[in-house]
Amino acid sequence: WKKEEFRTCDQTPFCKRARARQPGSCSLVATDVVINDGDLTAKLIPKFDGSKGEEDEQEKGEEPSKPLLLRLSAYQNGIVRLKIDEDPSLDPPKKRFEVPDVVVPEFDDKKLWLQRVSTEVINGDASQSSVVYVSDDHEAVLRHDPFEVYIRKKGGDRVLSINSHGLFDFEQLRNKKEGDNWEESFRSHTDSRPYGPQSISFDVSFYGADFVYGIPEHATSLSLKPTRGPEIEFSEPYRLFNLDVFEYLHESPFGIYGSIPFMLSHGKVHGTSGFFWLNAAEMQIDVLGSGWDAESGLSLPSSHGRIDTLWMSEAGVVDAFFFVGPEPKNVVKQYASVTGTSAMPQHFATAYHQCRWNYRDEEDVANVDSKFDEFDIPYDVLWLDIEHTDGKRYFTWDRVLFPNPEEMQNKLADKGRHMVTIVDPHIKREESFHIHKEATKGGYYVKDASGKDYDGWCWPGSSSYLDMLNPEIRTWWAEKFSLQNYVGSTPSLYIWNDMNEPSVFNGPEVTMPRDLIHYGGVEHREVHNAYGYYFHMATADGLFKRGGGNDRPFVLSRAIFPGTQRFGAVWTGDNSADWDHLRVSVPMILTLGLTGISFSGADVGGFFGNPDTELLVRWYQLGAYYPFFRGHAHHDTKRREPWLFGEKNTELMRDAIHTRYMFLPYFYTLFREANATGVPVVRPLWMEFPLDETTFSNDEAFMVGNSLLVQGIYTERAKQVSVYLPRGQSWYDLKTGVAYAGGVTHKLQVSEDSIPAFQKAGTIIPRKDRYRRSSTQMVNDPFTLVIALNASQAAEGELYVDDGKSFEFGKGAYIHRRFVYSDGKLTSSNIASPVSGSKVYSSDCVIERIILLGLSGAKSALIEPANVKAEIESGPIMLRGRGGPTALTVRKPNVRISDDWTIKIL
Amino acid sequence: SSPSLSRESLGISPEDANYFKSDIIKCKDGSKKFTKAQLNDDFCDCADGTDEPGTSACSRGKFYCKNAGHVALSLFSSRVNDGICDCCDGSDEYDGKVKCPNTCWESGKVARDKLQKKIATYKEGVTIRNQKIEQAKQGISKGEAELAKLKSEEKILKGLVQQLKDRKEQIDKAEEKELLEKEKEEKKKKESDEKTEGEEKDSKETQHEEGQSGTSDEPSLEQDVSEVNDNDAVGADNDDLSENEASQSGGVEQDAADDKKTTVETGSVNGAHDVESNESQDEAVEQESDGSENTEGLSKEELGRLVASRWTGENSGEKNKEVDDAKKEDKIGKSETQENEPNEDDDGYNSSEDNYKYDEDSPEEEDIDDDFEEDDLHNADASYKSDSEDHTDYSDITTTTSPSWLEKIQQTVRNILQAVNLFQSPIDKSEAAHIRKEYDDASSKLSKIQSRISSLTKKLENDFGPEKEFYSFYDRCFENKQNKYVYKVCAFKQASQVEGHSSTQLGQWEKFEDSYRTMLFSNGDKCWNGPDRSLKVKLRCGLNNELTDVDEPSRCEYVAILSTPALCLEEKLKELQQKLDLMNMQQPQSHDEL
Repeated sequence: WKKEEFRTCDQTPFCKRARARQPGSCSLVATDVVINDGDLTAKLIPKFDGSKGEEDEQEKGEEPSKPLLLRLSAYQNGIVRLKIDEDPSLDPPKKRFEVPDVVVPEFDDKKLWLQRVSTEVINGDASQSSVVYVSDDHEAVLRHDPFEVYIRKKGGDRVLSINSHGLFDFEQLRNKKEGDNWEESFRSHTDSRPYGPQSISFDVSFYGADFVYGIPEHATSLSLKPTRGPEIEFSEPYRLFNLDVFEYLHESPFGIYGSIPFMLSHGKVHGTSGFFWLNAAEMQIDVLGSGWDAESGLSLPSSHGRIDTLWMSEAGVVDAFFFVGPEPKNVVKQYASVTGTSAMPQHFATAYHQCRWNYRDEEDVANVDSKFDEFDIPYDVLWLDIEHTDGKRYFTWDRVLFPNPEEMQNKLADKGRHMVTIVDPHIKREESFHIHKEATKGGYYVKDASGKDYDGWCWPGSSSYLDMLNPEIRTWWAEKFSLQNYVGSTPSLYIWNDMNEPSVFNGPEVTMPRDLIHYGGVEHREVHNAYGYYFHMATADGLFKRGGGNDRPFVLSRAIFPGTQRFGAVWTGDNSADWDHLRVSVPMILTLGLTGISFSGADVGGFFGNPDTELLVRWYQLGAYYPFFRGHAHHDTKRREPWLFGEKNTELMRDAIHTRYMFLPYFYTLFREANATGVPVVRPLWMEFPLDETTFSNDEAFMVGNSLLVQGIYTERAKQVSVYLPRGQSWYDLKTGVAYAGGVTHKLQVSEDSIPAFQKAGTIIPRKDRYRRSSTQMVNDPFTLVIALNASQAAEGELYVDDGKSFEFGKGAYIHRRFVYSDGKLTSSNIASPVSGSKVYSSDCVIERIILLGLSGAKSALIEPANVKAEIESGPIMLRGRGGPTALTVRKPNVRISDDWTIKIL
Repeated sequence: SSPSLSRESLGISPEDANYFKSDIIKCKDGSKKFTKAQLNDDFCDCADGTDEPGTSACSRGKFYCKNAGHVALSLFSSRVNDGICDCCDGSDEYDGKVKCPNTCWESGKVARDKLQKKIATYKEGVTIRNQKIEQAKQGISKGEAELAKLKSEEKILKGLVQQLKDRKEQIDKAEEKELLEKEKEEKKKKESDEKTEGEEKDSKETQHEEGQSGTSDEPSLEQDVSEVNDNDAVGADNDDLSENEASQSGGVEQDAADDKKTTVETGSVNGAHDVESNESQDEAVEQESDGSENTEGLSKEELGRLVASRWTGENSGEKNKEVDDAKKEDKIGKSETQENEPNEDDDGYNSSEDNYKYDEDSPEEEDIDDDFEEDDLHNADASYKSDSEDHTDYSDITTTTSPSWLEKIQQTVRNILQAVNLFQSPIDKSEAAHIRKEYDDASSKLSKIQSRISSLTKKLENDFGPEKEFYSFYDRCFENKQNKYVYKVCAFKQASQVEGHSSTQLGQWEKFEDSYRTMLFSNGDKCWNGPDRSLKVKLRCGLNNELTDVDEPSRCEYVAILSTPALCLEEKLKELQQKLDLMNMQQPQSHDEL
């Protein structure tokens, strides 16, 4: 890691200024408060009563601030949107950038048209506050003087607030005057900053909160540690600035590849709430430790369990969303209603991916592919990194190494496998390269401050970067993915977008200069964090169009922004082959899930360096539960395909991968849930157990869906591991079927065979126990149901099945069942929502085995309505286990998953 | 597919047929029993898959397909009814979802032809291999005999050298004594002269005189040589130096040593230049990639290259292809000099030019490795002798040609020892020189014998395989050209990748692995951010020694295939023949069954 190559807050003037502000320094008051077009609007003007604000401005010799416009809107399900911007009618030098294409169009339909505003005087205030309706339980309050906005429960406790500490600051655009020097330099780079200071900062408070979470992407713990406050060692704020960081560190607030300015709080008192600031400029966020404001003399109501935060951004506008919760899943759903839910992945994409920089040639590909078969290890996707191209020109092939790319892909496709190739946003500046030629001619590149095509440096050497902010350029780009345009591609080929922060090797902080110019005169500083998002969007659109609108795109992206979930999967970038990175992968993935991005994973094995065998095995065992499960390695590392470490370790890695394949029906059901609701596939424990305080900061274990708890092993030669099992239910060990009490930290013996995993009592998990070469061949295989009974001998679960690749499911072509076990009966019922579409998905798949955990004495089962009997015998819990633990098993009920039925246990 | 197969016999191999005859069947792992009705009922009862040989129900099971006309296969259960035709008879896909035509006879024919060819190769290969083994045995026993002889000669020669040394030292002492006395006399003379002349001029004269007497004066000659060496290290003009040295030392006794020295020195001086310039470049590169480097002064392009190099490990200083290549050459030049360095002091080492020189006056050289030469005549392999110690000229000590040289020496020594009279004063200069010459000759012969002993011992210490079938690999290099690279594998020595005039070490010989089916070369040149280079050479049966398929599957870890008769094993041949017999036997009952 090259620390000195990246700016600290102190080296970033807007951050330094904002951090230095004292509580109460905001002098704005709200005036002209009215309902307008269903919104609450107001003007924010400085208070001219000799307050500090005025002095400041006079000291700086600045023109007096113009009024700012405030607009507060309420939306269904407890969402409040707050916008603050300069008044366009007052002729600002430039329109400030608002990020388009992130808020989904459907969100507008959920707007509540506010009819009236009531006023009240809050105790001790000199002036009044305006109150509007948000939901039956919540109200939004605009306090006029001092200016503050907060959400409260009807007539009661606060939930969220902004500017309660008076740290709000909005640097308005000014015309450059003689003698103004707005340039900023960092190392050898100079930022011309033609528009001068334009940053925004403010404080946000979460009430009744024990912890805050979110704001990826950082390699840190799940619950965000305070960065300022008494007894806190100096720390940088959490930085949100998409950067390609070579060998990033774990446990660092430093910004890496992605930025999602969405924070959640959770506490025993209030539950969960969330705050999201839609802004694509560099952002820095301080989590303030309790007592940070001890000297300010301010005392907020409901200060019990309050967490204060400071948000600072270099540019843009205030476009903020408040989510009232109160349940964890409410907040993620509320956020998803603004930015969208995760795209439904193709089924194959939820299976195991094999990647390496680089599989060198067709022979290498064929060899790796056949080795998986030879060792009976399933995999679904083989990846090609940058070296497959002709001189790092994307959409081309090195024809010496890959003379017959179509044939190569078809050979994989014959086994139901897929291929992914890399396509990055830097375009080689070479006359003969058709993409470059078209882009130059069309003026599709981002421009430098002088208006010329910006010329940076990346893999191909001298490169330019497509201006993906422009919808027309995105359309042009999307067409490049058609089978005709992308020569050598086939329908089984999908795409990987790397380096889209964007990574610019000779740019400041290894990215683009901030004074570059995008579509519409937007400066790069304003759009930086969304650059990769637009690239990802255009690529996914390309695959969508290639498939005639009926083939789900698969595009993996490294850069991340709110809304990324709609376009594909992400991974946590270039991690390292060490135990710390294995450990930190869990909070990183959980955080991504909390902030909308369900489909994420870390490179199994660690990208840089050579993992020792034990680490690699542990990584496979953990990675099998990542939503996105891919092995990847740097080209300097030794080969590490699962069969290269001796028979025993091959067996262990095969088992880990098989575990994933076994749970694919469960994962796919969860992906559908994420697609439908925004609730992530893997979840922090507190999302499922919001009242169990022990879970709030636990990021060693996580839930897969609501039924499966997984505990990673993060140390070498571990003999024992402590696992906290949340209270309220008991938990069945996945391998042994042994029940463990909830609410207890168990010290468990562990072996190299697997990491601890438990099924929650009261749940039913669908599995497929037969293994195939790839998930494609499993489509007709029968299911196993594992019923884990709770204390009242009941359990329930779901199964979602569709064709695994098309968008027909949107028209009703899917099977969605609920299984309920109670009173000694298992019933399957249809929970597919009645859709207008007439499409049907049918399947002859049956359930071949039902494993009953927590039941004894049953002898046989009666299947209705067929009225046939099935035997109940003692059968293995894991088919692959050699004579392992057993449980009561209904043998061959062979009921169809698409039918309604009841099985009575006799 | 094969509708003739009943549920009970699906996927069961002929050897297992009886196992499934009874009504109650045991799981093979002993865990359980199952009824005949549960055999292939598409539900897994035995964890090991015993009960489901014909379905995909058990994950650990195996499905047997007969593939009449081709080779029978045992598939993982995961392949049964997965929509992919795995058995050429199509029997693994019987659920009707896909149609798998029976292709066994056609593909079997191809396979049989191939197998037949392989058998033919093996047959011939086994013969060649046996010849090699025979030759190896002879070569080894010859070597051992030579070694024994050399050792006894060494013993005698050692004694002679000691005698000569003693005598030489006596002469040295006597001469020293004479010199001292002479000096004393001169001193006296000087003291009387001092009264009339100044000190400075006096001392000059003394120096002058000493210099003049230098030709016969050992200590001062040594001084000269060391001066020369000093200059050498500084890198002064090389040609002048060697000339100078030659003229100064003069005399026959220096000849042999001189030849060698000159070549070595020339090499090393050039080498030193290379190393120096290269190191400074390398240093610069290292500085660039150092974490604390200052990038302020870099151009945009340099900065881009520098940052890219973190991921790629490539040299960021490269501006274009030419520079790139030049650099590589530099680097490789450096590694070559490094290779040679240890040999500078090694009497046994000779560059090929040296060999030519020796060849002129020593036609007997061929005799040393006659067995290898034979090989070369037989095989037009892409192999050749490696540069090695064995090419040193041992003509004057070669056992076959000079049964009497030792006796001659012995005689000479006896003669001169008797002739020289130590107690005669002043000592006869010519006799003293004679003794010294004889001493130098004898000790040079001794060191040659010793180096031959050591190289022979080293050779015989090598692991030539259980039947010494790899003996003929000794001193052999095998080459393979791939694009611009030539891969060069020298068994028991080293392997390298040569591009033009530059070469990169892929590894030093380490050992055979995998029951003599792989040769391992390790600890090659360093790889940036990777392991030291290494090469595994996988051995296959073939009629000629032929290196093929060099590959780098993992960064700086190379793999190559070498076909060689040494791997044509008789047991394997039998196995192949049996396999072919089996294939020929199993013709399909009816070809148009489909």
